[in-house]
Amino acid sequence: MTAPRLMRGLMAAVIALPLALLGACGGDDNSSSDGKTELTFFWWGGEARAKLTEQALALYTQKHPDVTFKTTWQANQGYFDKLATLTAGSDAPDIFQIDDNYLAEYATRNVTLDLTSYKDSGKVDVSKFPEGLWKYGVVDNKLAGLAMGENTQGLVFNKTKLEAAKQELPKTGISWADFITWAQKAGAATKIPGTQDPSADYKAFWVWLRQNGKDLYNGNQLAFTKDDVQKWFELWKGARDTKATPTADVIHEGNATDITKQLVVTNKALTSWVWANQMPDIQKNTKDELAVVAYPGDPSAQWARASMYFSVYRGSKDKDKAVDVINFLANDPEAAKILGTDRGLPSNLDNRTAVAATVTDPAMKASIALEDELVKKFGPAPSVPPKGHSTVKSELIKAAEAAQFGTATPDKAAEQFFAAAQAAVAG
Amino acid sequence: MAVSTRPPAHRPQSGPAASQRRGRPARHQDDGRAGYVFLSPWLLGLAAVTAIPMLLSLYLSFTNYDVLSSFSEADWVGLDNYRKMFTDDPAFWHAVRVTLVFALIGTPLKLGAALGVAMLLNRSFRGAGLFRGLFYLPSLLGGSVAVAMIWRSIFDRSGAFNAFLSWFGIEGKAWVNDPSTALGTLILLAVWQFGAPMVIFLAGLKQVPNELYEAAEVDGASSVRKFLSVTLPMLSPVIFFNLVLETIHGFQGFTSAFVLSGGTGGPVDSTLMYTLQLYLKGFANFEMGYASAMAWVFLITIGLVTVVLFRTGRFWVHYSDGDD
Repeated sequence: MTAPRLMRGLMAAVIALPLALLGACGGDDNSSSDGKTELTFFWWGGEARAKLTEQALALYTQKHPDVTFKTTWQANQGYFDKLATLTAGSDAPDIFQIDDNYLAEYATRNVTLDLTSYKDSGKVDVSKFPEGLWKYGVVDNKLAGLAMGENTQGLVFNKTKLEAAKQELPKTGISWADFITWAQKAGAATKIPGTQDPSADYKAFWVWLRQNGKDLYNGNQLAFTKDDVQKWFELWKGARDTKATPTADVIHEGNATDITKQLVVTNKALTSWVWANQMPDIQKNTKDELAVVAYPGDPSAQWARASMYFSVYRGSKDKDKAVDVINFLANDPEAAKILGTDRGLPSNLDNRTAVAATVTDPAMKASIALEDELVKKFGPAPSVPPKGHSTVKSELIKAAEAAQFGTATPDKAAEQFFAAAQAAVAG
Repeated sequence: MAVSTRPPAHRPQSGPAASQRRGRPARHQDDGRAGYVFLSPWLLGLAAVTAIPMLLSLYLSFTNYDVLSSFSEADWVGLDNYRKMFTDDPAFWHAVRVTLVFALIGTPLKLGAALGVAMLLNRSFRGAGLFRGLFYLPSLLGGSVAVAMIWRSIFDRSGAFNAFLSWFGIEGKAWVNDPSTALGTLILLAVWQFGAPMVIFLAGLKQVPNELYEAAEVDGASSVRKFLSVTLPMLSPVIFFNLVLETIHGFQGFTSAFVLSGGTGGPVDSTLMYTLQLYLKGFANFEMGYASAMAWVFLITIGLVTVVLFRTGRFWVHYSDGDD
């Protein structure tokens, strides 16, 4: 008992020393002696998103001259490392972008400000949001983030190549078995494998589970069995055996790289499994015309997913102002016009209608059309993935690839994934 | 954070006359203090960015710290992290195996390549300097992300390496994307960066006295014999130096594995190096306490390996002091 206490004392001294030194150097830079507030703002994305976000924030400053912003942004790679490091140093940005891969991790550790009371008092207005969408930000009964856009699962295919080979195009509602047969046939006709093998893709697995009356999670537990995983792996083993998919090394390329190197872009498969709002990004990287439909099976298994959220840091010095900013970005019509569909379809339905009417990018139009078509069919959204989700995702990739490369049978791979996933959500 | 240069209280008492009277010893003491003053930026840096974080990580290795919470919320778990690592974490042992394969195969190959090329370049011919520069280049670029990306594209399915193979009618595969060959391409990348040890070997070769070779020639030694009996023994301190340095490097392999696998250690964990697994534990699984424990085990292991190398060095490293 005494050893830890002694260590803690020592550590406290060790930690306090540099902090004191640092404290002596810098003043309190957030001081509002002149009534001005500077809020820090951090997101991931590309150059285009940065421009739009800066513009929307400038508009806020124009309307509230006492609030200015210090913005930082970077590519997705490394974003969450940096956010975690900043948080560890109690130096997280006042406002940051987050997605459902990590929302629960941050919310359960009380990093994010609970927005429930702001929602109840109307300071955060979700009255124009689809209900399932804002609720997708609730973790442990706390509203941990405000959805900044909506998207859903989308199967993107190469329309140009399929039409050139006089092949049928996939349609929403096609069964899994028919889809795989189609992929095999289209692959034979075009000499490009018909589909990326999505057995390592958690969102495809998730939709498939929901179509089978299961789910990925139920609260903090897995809502599927080892047998379900095995069936899933076997389904795709069958597809690989009929050459409906590329070989394992190529499949891995699609699993490992970012969205702009998806196999449908690099012409190593005719279809890829993505989020529908990624259409413009994918389309930009290929000359062929792409199109998008729902994943195979009953489309009611898909749901309106919050593509990303803005959260407020619980340790922020100006929580109320930060909350007002994210409310502004989500609901102000002018801000919505600036932000467009960059983070998904606007959450506020009034804004969505206004923005959708002005969209000219055909890829984005296709994505909106899919969403419009599915919105009537959407099933209820699952709750946001629990803590450990990011590990579950990487364990699925590992196990699925073991099955793809033949280093494990679907049975063994399923067993391995199930055990690892269980440990991840329990831990 | 101002650092006072010298306690001013001393000054009035010791005027020029006084210091002269006390003579040299006092001066020496003075110089020592000034030395520390000049060193202080470095000492502060050492404390702030090396010593304190290290102690902190030692403390964290006994806790269940998760990165996102504050330090004070981390619970003391004693040796649990270490126990789990050795008895209940197959991924840990897998990472150890991958790293050992990488270091034990990569390091000798790299040293061999470095010595071989150094011997080729240790002659005077036109453009020798240019060649030395060219061979050194990869190790300058080697640690960088860019080179790993290029490596990725070379060993891709449609990459240059397969184009080369296709001349001989061999159909290649995506070498970096196949669990049976991914680690091999990483080792190859490490071997290719032999420039640094090569330059040191070159310097060592220049030091070998020519008389020894001449004497060996008079005795009718073959070139193999000359290499074994003259070059290697004379070079052994340099070989030893390179061996220690490159072994440590080998254990630390991270960047190339990180970039080539997209930060996952895939496909199927085939490139899951120890440092990569440590990073994933800390930042992807939010087990910073565990990752800290891994870091300390790593530090101690490298320390032990170095000690063992030094011990064995006694038997094969020959230092010629010029008078023997």
